[in-house]
Amino acid sequence: MDITAPTIILTLVWGVAIGCVYILLATGLNIIFGVMKLVNFAHGQLLMIGAYLTWTITYSAGLNAYAAIILSMLVVACIGVAVERLTFRRILGGDKLNEIFVSLGLIYIFENAAMLIWGANSKQIVSPLAGLSLALPSISITYDRIVAVFVVIVTLIAFGLLIQKTKIGLAMRATSQRNSTAMLMGINVETIYMLTFAIGSALAAVAGGLYGIIFSFDYQVGAIPTIIAFAIIILGGLGSIKGAIIGGLLYGIVEQLATLFFGGVWGSAVAFAMLIVVLIIRPNGIFGEKGE
Amino acid sequence: MQIKQAVTSFLRSKGFQIMLGAFALLAIIPVLANNNFFLYVFTLIFVFAIYASSWNLLANSGQGSLGHAAFLGIGGFASALIGGSMSSAIIVSLGVTKMPIGALSVLIQIVVILIGGLLSAGIGFLIGLACVRLKAWYLAMVTFGFSVIASTLSSQLDVVTNGINGFAPTTLVPSGYPFYILVITFAVTSITTMSLIMKSRIGLAFRAIHGNEEEAKMIGINTAKYKLIAFVISTFFAGIAGGLYAYFIRFIQNDIFSPANSFLPLIMTVIGGLGTVAGPIIGSIFLVSLQQTLALPSVVEMMRSSLGAYFPGVSNVGPPISYLLIGIILVLIVIFSPKGLAPLFRKLLKYITSEEKTKETKKQ
Repeated sequence: MDITAPTIILTLVWGVAIGCVYILLATGLNIIFGVMKLVNFAHGQLLMIGAYLTWTITYSAGLNAYAAIILSMLVVACIGVAVERLTFRRILGGDKLNEIFVSLGLIYIFENAAMLIWGANSKQIVSPLAGLSLALPSISITYDRIVAVFVVIVTLIAFGLLIQKTKIGLAMRATSQRNSTAMLMGINVETIYMLTFAIGSALAAVAGGLYGIIFSFDYQVGAIPTIIAFAIIILGGLGSIKGAIIGGLLYGIVEQLATLFFGGVWGSAVAFAMLIVVLIIRPNGIFGEKGE
Repeated sequence: MQIKQAVTSFLRSKGFQIMLGAFALLAIIPVLANNNFFLYVFTLIFVFAIYASSWNLLANSGQGSLGHAAFLGIGGFASALIGGSMSSAIIVSLGVTKMPIGALSVLIQIVVILIGGLLSAGIGFLIGLACVRLKAWYLAMVTFGFSVIASTLSSQLDVVTNGINGFAPTTLVPSGYPFYILVITFAVTSITTMSLIMKSRIGLAFRAIHGNEEEAKMIGINTAKYKLIAFVISTFFAGIAGGLYAYFIRFIQNDIFSPANSFLPLIMTVIGGLGTVAGPIIGSIFLVSLQQTLALPSVVEMMRSSLGAYFPGVSNVGPPISYLLIGIILVLIVIFSPKGLAPLFRKLLKYITSEEKTKETKKQ
């Protein structure tokens, strides 16, 4: 591809669109970490399940893809609750390595179950706006990407209101600060954990639906976005929502630019290099908490 | 001095006798079985037993790597490339057309595998420097990142590595029984060395760090140093496993850096029993035999005819079903039996033997 002004602008727009999907995933991962002090490495697999469910609902029920995302959100939230109750709750507070082991087990379970159910071939969700694009002088942007950005903004605003304005959000914030004190204040911490996991999973499902509309995906799609989301929350600071948004946009743009200038293979390698450099300089992330 | 003491006491110990016995037994089994498939599976089991044990040693110091495939790959590529250039130099100097198989080639084989291990340990040292300050998931992510970077670099330096299309390493030890003996020699010595280290003061420090790093620091353990030591030892043996793997399957490609290869030693160790010597071996036996059985053409055909109809999107249903089960087993083991299958087997054995004893006493 020639490197000209329009291609750079297009790359930036793509970066913002893909960055938005990462932001949703990172926010979900972040809220779960903030409240439960747990990193679910299988978070990207929830994105994958969300994408597949949206595909199935669109394909078999003929529903509008964007409406299907809402349905798949609910289903994935239930899956998240099941995952929290059956696995993570039982190992919470123990050896940190156990979280990694359980996550890996979940990755294998989700990926292979998805492969058995939906097959090994890649799929793409058919959006009502497929093929349409906004034609500007010398560049054109598909409407799906613009809609994706809007969906992410709306979801994030709803999420922010939930955290800042509601009692549940207050309880979540209290639990994230100190769960034992929250318990003394009459908060049912276990319910909050369950809700947090459900919300985080639902955000991953939205990310999955948008991803599936923009790109084609298969059962292995979750792995790389998880790592990217992790890189974003390390860049932006664990537990910080604003950090996740800035980190997500930054990451999406850097990745797209690296791909444009150095070629596709360098996309994820550059991301990791960035992550490693940050962690070497600051082992807890740029804005990381001191205790963890 | 301590090392010498440890070694002499080890040579007298039951453990050493068991080791010799194990070696003899392992050497005889395939002869009795006299079956190429068994020989293949056995060799692979011991290659992966080394690999999983190396991961286990690192995890024992509280460092869970998700990118060990980087070191498997570095060891594999280094020994295959160096072995290739060494043997071509010998071919030229002797004026022959093919590498002669003999004492010299066996020696070269051992040397290049050790070089692969050393190179892997050298890079492991550098990566370890970056990793010693990191905890749990940060470390997991960074090690995983290194395996991705290693794969990218290997494809960028394709002129040197030839990793995109892959290549077959020069035959130095003939495949079959001779190679099996080579592998079990490496396996018995490597696993013994690692278990010795884990039983020594160094191993004690590893366990202290795993238990609680702050407290370990407080009682005067230089945690950074010991974590680095664990990293270097672990990556050395992972590199050796990589060399053996490349020469055994007679092919090496960038695929070796895949996440699946990084996760394999973790799964083997956790299923077998984290922190035990037997754990990685049991896990390797379990996983490798499962994989190889499922790869048999007759089994693939059977799975297709019986289950294929239910899963139309998948051409070979064996692997996904088995990995699904492995995922479930992994989660169940972490939650219900954190020490893995090894203690479970031991309990079972104890149960059986004690039952026999009670029967005997009743008879008396």
